Amino acid sequence: MAGSAADAAALAERILAQGPSSYAPWLDRGPHLDLLERRALPELRAEAWRHTNVARWYEAVLHGTVTPVSSHRVESPAEVEVVDFADPRAAELQQLRGEETYRLSAQPITALNALLLGAGAAIRVPAGSAASDPIRIVDLPAAYQRILVIIEPDARVELIEEPSTYTHRLVEVVVQPGGQLVHRRHQAASSHLECSLVAVRAESGAHYELSLLSLGSDLRRNDIVASLAGVGANVTLRGAWRLDESRHLDNQVAVHHRVPGGTSRQTYRGVAADRSRAVLNGRIEIAPGAQQSDATLNTKNLLASDAAEVYAKPELEIYANDVKCSHGATVGAIDDDAVHYFRTRGIDEHTARTLFVRGFLREAIDDLDAAQMLGLIQ
Amino acid sequence: MSLLRIEDLHVEVDGKPILVGIDLAVEAGEVHAVMGPNGSGKSTLANVLAGRPGYDVVRGSMTVDGEDVRTLSPEERSLHGLFLAFQYPIEIPGVSNMEFLKAAVDAHALGRGEEPPTAVDFVKRARVAATRLQFDPDFLKRGVNDGFSGGEKKRNEILQMLILEPRLAVLDETDSGLDIDALQVVADGINAFRANSNAVVLVTHYQRLLNYVVPDHVHVLADGRIVHSGDRGLALELEERGYGWLGG
Repeated sequence: MAGSAADAAALAERILAQGPSSYAPWLDRGPHLDLLERRALPELRAEAWRHTNVARWYEAVLHGTVTPVSSHRVESPAEVEVVDFADPRAAELQQLRGEETYRLSAQPITALNALLLGAGAAIRVPAGSAASDPIRIVDLPAAYQRILVIIEPDARVELIEEPSTYTHRLVEVVVQPGGQLVHRRHQAASSHLECSLVAVRAESGAHYELSLLSLGSDLRRNDIVASLAGVGANVTLRGAWRLDESRHLDNQVAVHHRVPGGTSRQTYRGVAADRSRAVLNGRIEIAPGAQQSDATLNTKNLLASDAAEVYAKPELEIYANDVKCSHGATVGAIDDDAVHYFRTRGIDEHTARTLFVRGFLREAIDDLDAAQMLGLIQ
Repeated sequence: MSLLRIEDLHVEVDGKPILVGIDLAVEAGEVHAVMGPNGSGKSTLANVLAGRPGYDVVRGSMTVDGEDVRTLSPEERSLHGLFLAFQYPIEIPGVSNMEFLKAAVDAHALGRGEEPPTAVDFVKRARVAATRLQFDPDFLKRGVNDGFSGGEKKRNEILQMLILEPRLAVLDETDSGLDIDALQVVADGINAFRANSNAVVLVTHYQRLLNYVVPDHVHVLADGRIVHSGDRGLALELEERGYGWLGG
């Protein structure tokens, strides 16, 4: 049997042989080709992939399991500029972005996104605008997708990623000074193998808020990196997930406080039933000199069956001395006493458990209707 | 037919005998107080009536309105008219009192073969009960017992009793940990509930609540059996003399 290292290498070879995608030719794919040439794709059992079998995802990359939709489906308010990545204007928007919002060396599989890219939407929300309708990413017509979002100074908008199918999606977000973005990611249960990276830079006084609702899939990996890069930036990350059957959800989150006076809040609630596996790795990094940073991370998990697995790990790396930082992680079962309490009021056991789970998840949900529509809660 | 009839009830918890032959008959319209020292089995009696898992009836029977409730699930007992006010009500963050009560009321309506009340009617009813028990208007939106003080939790149990209108209410040390104002509110709630169509069993260590809710009968539980029964005077005597003189 071929080793998993061979899988990564074989994949690199195959992609180098076929050459990079010709979509959005303005995109500089040099570093990505270089990464593949150095055979630097993660191998099975790489530390960052402890809980997700990356070789299985490589298989999906090799065999192209996704059948993409035929056209861009992005709905947006009139004042918001949306262009296809194929349009040279997208290159100008990428210029507005400034430096990359993540480090390729820390997110190596993103190289595959660049090299195989088939669809992208570049979005600019003009300075000072306050759209009343959200931008909806309904679907993009390729297995490898990217979304670039520039929130110009003091602009406010909501971005919704509706459930869709991809093999890799990169979402780069820059919230310029004083801007505000509420970013909703809705992930339905699916049988696909998919990875995504959300990379955010919040500049001075900017607010970035993420609400992730997820049901997991055959293999689903969400990487989230958020930098507080300007004084007084504010990042709020919320995630609620409920997995059943043998679904898999691996969330790897890193919040970097790079300058003083930033605030970050992270709240996650997860429920794992049947033979599912749920992962939340949450790292907070406070850079030297990032004084008066205020960071919290709270994750609570319910194991709803003996065969389910939950991995919840907060990690702190603090290089400044005047900071407030707290974290908490719990894993427990559904509270039998609570279920009994419900039942003594005439509520049957199934309903009791449903109410309990809903109440539990709700602490990390701010849009109950969306959660209900997705089937996350009943 | 007695509303509640317990005969020769033996209960074990983890294989350990706790109740060793309880006989008790409660008629509609009556309030019975079950008193006794710590560890006498009072809470076990309350919990076994409500069907708490782990409390095994090894002998005897307990019937409510003639139906033996031993084989009924906790929710079936509730629908059959049995209510337990918990000594330690459970906190359930994320589930509002509104949702919790509505789910309970709906289950009871469906159990009777009726349509559940509309949200509007239900809220009206719940507000009346909340006001009676001196809860703030935001009570319905708060999580069930979430961050409640001891007194608020006990008042919430009485509120649930008023809304569910059980045939038989078993109140497990509802008076413990209450200050005098909260005790008064709780007592008013119980007195408002009292009717010829229902019955109340007050499980309590102290007779203080009985100054406000006057029982028809008082029983003393010791070492898993009722060792003495009498009228209200017995409670007063217990307050004066303690439990020591009764023996096992």
